[in-house]
Amino acid sequence: MPYSFPLGPYHPALEEPFKVKVQCRGEVIDSATVEVGFSFRGIELLAQKRNWVEVITLIERVCGICSNTHAMTFCMAAETIAGIEVPKRAAHIRTIIAELERLHSHLLWAGVGAEDIGFHSLFMEVFTLRELVMDTLEAISGNRVNYGMNCIGGVHRDIPDPKRHLPALDTLSKGLAEIVIPTFTENPTALTRTRGVGRLTREQAVEWAVVGPVARASGLDIDVRKDQPYLSYADLGFESVVRPEGDVLARVVVRALEMVESIRLIREALLSLPAGPLRATQGVPEIPSGEATIRTEAPRGEAFYYVASEGGATPARVKIRTPSFVNIPAIEAMVVGQPLADLSIIQASVDPCISCTDR
Amino acid sequence: MAMLKTILGNLLRPPRTRDPADMPEVPPVYRGALAHDAARCTACGTCAFVCAPKAITFTQEPGVSVSWHFFIGQCSFCGLCAQNCPTRAISLQADAPGATNSAAGDGLRLESVIRLQPCTRCGAAHVPLPDATIEALWGVEEAERGYCPECRRRAASEKLRAAFVPAEEAHHDR
Repeated sequence: MPYSFPLGPYHPALEEPFKVKVQCRGEVIDSATVEVGFSFRGIELLAQKRNWVEVITLIERVCGICSNTHAMTFCMAAETIAGIEVPKRAAHIRTIIAELERLHSHLLWAGVGAEDIGFHSLFMEVFTLRELVMDTLEAISGNRVNYGMNCIGGVHRDIPDPKRHLPALDTLSKGLAEIVIPTFTENPTALTRTRGVGRLTREQAVEWAVVGPVARASGLDIDVRKDQPYLSYADLGFESVVRPEGDVLARVVVRALEMVESIRLIREALLSLPAGPLRATQGVPEIPSGEATIRTEAPRGEAFYYVASEGGATPARVKIRTPSFVNIPAIEAMVVGQPLADLSIIQASVDPCISCTDR
Repeated sequence: MAMLKTILGNLLRPPRTRDPADMPEVPPVYRGALAHDAARCTACGTCAFVCAPKAITFTQEPGVSVSWHFFIGQCSFCGLCAQNCPTRAISLQADAPGATNSAAGDGLRLESVIRLQPCTRCGAAHVPLPDATIEALWGVEEAERGYCPECRRRAASEKLRAAFVPAEEAHHDR
């Protein structure tokens, strides 16, 4: 007999509130409806009431995991309106922080994913590695989250001794190559829970307009870092990771290989850090009237910002479209025909970030 | 077999849990508890302007004092106040701020009072500038230290005129 089953908003799989209502026939899911909006904070409206300095602190709080992406994308939009060109050194530092953030976000996801399939020892291993990234971020920015690195026209803080952070990267790539990647791709326990589970075909991926690692795991080669290089990605060179299978395993592999690519990017950026100023402007920025749209690749996919200015002390409009906002609905397509027990790993495989989505 | 190897290997290894003492160093850029130095503060209001959560506010008692207020519950530790303070009156310390330091709530709110001083020339109450700021901005001599901004402007323009007027008179004589 078919029955409906609500999962959430308080969640067995994730830390944040969102709700999936599933229609089941026995053990098998017939259909699902996703509901979001439990952590709405009205940041877009608040942003219109904060001046151009304050608003960066506010925008950084859109997301607790990819905080830097949001502040950085907003600053890039404001710089585009004002016609400010960011110094090379600042662009490199922004790239380093963005990639470190991707590392810690993907490692966090790998840990949560391991926990969802009941693999607690792998969760511990992954979080030990993640701690290295957090320590590096703290050493550079002074904080473990909400780094406060970005300002309009550049960055607030320098990386005075770039070579100091290389040993942590070496330990990290060793840990990834020896523990995380082999366990996810070879361990029979991990494979049975992920291979062929929660499939999203290429056609479905196009239809649901997914972005980021979810799209790349379904064979769609889209990545803003490659398609429209910003910051230092054109200088550093970038290889996107694409898998055609579209199941949970493919999403795991895409994220794992992306981490390897991130480590390479960070190492090259640290070694080739150009000399020069950190900021193109001094003091309180003045943004003339105008508008700008900016896309960047957040850890979860393409983040889109529209910023309008009327030349006043505050932005006239800030529109934020986060990657999770388009990825979360695709859960509805992934769970059809899957056992109820796989629901938690399937939703976790999208890496949904609810505070981003709700803003 | 692989598991047996792991177990035997782990028997010989020390635990991987980190000691409380084995903390990473507090980086020099760490943004901890806020401190305010009233002697350096010029009450310019820059810190309140850049504070997104409005944790910093100013109140004034006309003719007597200006007070700087800080409430830790609203602070997001972005560090913009300390970065933008022109006289470095605000600094972020290396120790983490307590969530609540005592039942009375001490340390959750900071207040520092900047006493206004009468101008040594006209007597108008004003915020005294720290010596280093006075030197950088005006470079004034000892007698003008206690002037209010209005008198300082007047003194500066008088000095400027004194430097120009003789030249002007010489021009008229010709």
